[in-house]
Amino acid sequence: MLILVMVVLILGGFDLFKGTKLMQSKPILPKKVGMWTGPDSPQNVTAENIFDYMDGAGELYLAYRFDSLEVYEYRAQNQPEILVELYFMNTSDDAFGLLSLDWGGEPVKLDPASKGERNIDDSQWPQGLYGEGLLRLWSDNIYARVMATRETSESKKTVLTLGRLITKDRENPSPPELMEKLPDSFGLDWILRRGMASFFRSHLVLNSLYYLGHENMLELDLTSEGVTAPYERKDSSGDLQRIQFLLLDYANPERAENALAHFHRVYLAEHPPPEHSGFSQKVVNVFPIEDGWMGYRLKENTLAFVFECPDQETVRTTLEQIN
Amino acid sequence: MAKEKKPVTRRDFLRGTLGTTLGASLMGSKFLQAGRMTAGGSVADPSLVTIVRDKGAMDANNSVSSDVLKAMLDETLTKFTGKPTAKDAWLSLVTPEDTIGLVPTPHLNPTHQEVVDAVKSSLIEAGIPDEKILGAQGGPDKPKACTALIGLPGLKAHWLTGIGTVMKLYILYSGSPRNYHDENNAKLGEIWNYPFVKGKTKLVLVDALHPLCDKGPQPDPRYKWPYNGLIAGTDPVAVETVCLRIIMEKRKAMRGEDWPLSPPPLCVEAADKVYGLGTSNWENIKVEHYGWDQDLLLG
Repeated sequence: MLILVMVVLILGGFDLFKGTKLMQSKPILPKKVGMWTGPDSPQNVTAENIFDYMDGAGELYLAYRFDSLEVYEYRAQNQPEILVELYFMNTSDDAFGLLSLDWGGEPVKLDPASKGERNIDDSQWPQGLYGEGLLRLWSDNIYARVMATRETSESKKTVLTLGRLITKDRENPSPPELMEKLPDSFGLDWILRRGMASFFRSHLVLNSLYYLGHENMLELDLTSEGVTAPYERKDSSGDLQRIQFLLLDYANPERAENALAHFHRVYLAEHPPPEHSGFSQKVVNVFPIEDGWMGYRLKENTLAFVFECPDQETVRTTLEQIN
Repeated sequence: MAKEKKPVTRRDFLRGTLGTTLGASLMGSKFLQAGRMTAGGSVADPSLVTIVRDKGAMDANNSVSSDVLKAMLDETLTKFTGKPTAKDAWLSLVTPEDTIGLVPTPHLNPTHQEVVDAVKSSLIEAGIPDEKILGAQGGPDKPKACTALIGLPGLKAHWLTGIGTVMKLYILYSGSPRNYHDENNAKLGEIWNYPFVKGKTKLVLVDALHPLCDKGPQPDPRYKWPYNGLIAGTDPVAVETVCLRIIMEKRKAMRGEDWPLSPPPLCVEAADKVYGLGTSNWENIKVEHYGWDQDLLLG
């Protein structure tokens, strides 16, 4: 009976927190790294005191499935301080999402022996990114920031060493499934701007990526997930055109339909709301608005949007291409 | 029956109707009567904002030169007020009887301590007693203890409010800072009108030595650059508008394409149109710049 309860709880956990959960070794960072000396034990931060530690920045981590944070400060004589922040998230998807908010910087391969369920192509979604003293990385359910207050050749070496210590012996699962639903192109000519593709769960984060409106009109929360990215092409005169694609996955079809109704009420108030789809039916609508054509497609628990299209055909082609 | 609040959306920006939407959503019909007014109720003159820059304000390690900073502060004070000395300038803004609160940015690209120290030393040299100069960043008790405030924000973007420089500086005075995130960032201006805050700000002096042009929420050194400037004014909205212009221009220069702030900084226009704190209209702002003029980023 006890075993059955445990199985139910584990499976329930997978259902509640959609996204891969692995049992991984927790990094234990050494006290000495090169010239730098760290603390005997890290500072521990939880959801309850995260605002004490980082002021309003805590909103970002709570917009994903945050569990806890460990903070290490390393010091060395005549060298900048190095701050290590290990964010333990409830799923790998959440840690990936945090890294996906900014793909800028120099891609860094941290764990060549990484063996996920599927092969990870670092040229597409790097595991680590370094720039001017700051390393950001994703290692299964950990998102980490390792930052030297000033970049020196020694501090860069130590920052990267710390990154490798964090990822050592940890396997990385694949990126979120929804991320992999982003096609490389729509039609023949709209090409994914890969460096601006992001995974999120909250309207606060969506608004920091592509602003639609301050109200949570898409009814996003920690049970939902979304990806957004621009797609670009050059027009006949060589000018760059851009459309914005948004794909949302809800816990069930009813929630997806409610979200669409809410969005429609706020964003497309001059148009009649979509009729009840019966959940399994596909709903596609296209509208001209101020910055071009937009459209959406609702099918089961998935909502797809495309904005700023030059014509109706682009909207329809884009939405039809999504499985 | 109360009218349903109309949420602000991207389409309001595209239509150019944000002002009406935002104002109506916050203030109802009172918005329509609001305009940029002075404390006395008349329409104000163009707002002066000065920018003083010195390439030597920071060295290659981004350490601040106190001597250069002092000279920049002196020039800022004399150019802004038109007075011959820094002492005269301060005494045109505050009096020795005032209890003066210095209000730096505490988090995410915080104000350089050297800037706070330089302002304090300069005030003391002007004859303000040391004990009458307080650190005034924090809860509502801080401004209540002061008769004058000197805003010393660090120039930065912010992931929840678009820009997090001037209007956000007093957020802790509300006692409930989380109430001013998201859409409610438009209401940041109301804090400046709290009875224990209103009228006390004698100068806004922005630390633009090493600004942050992306929104964080935590510092990323790739988005910081040595602007080496001090930006000053008594109209907080005009100063914020100039700061916003600099950040937007830097973002464009960095990416080589338009890189909008997202979410848009509703608080700037709202501070003008809803709360009457100053002007966000570039045409009503007089910008004077002195010193190093490379990459001024004023468009």
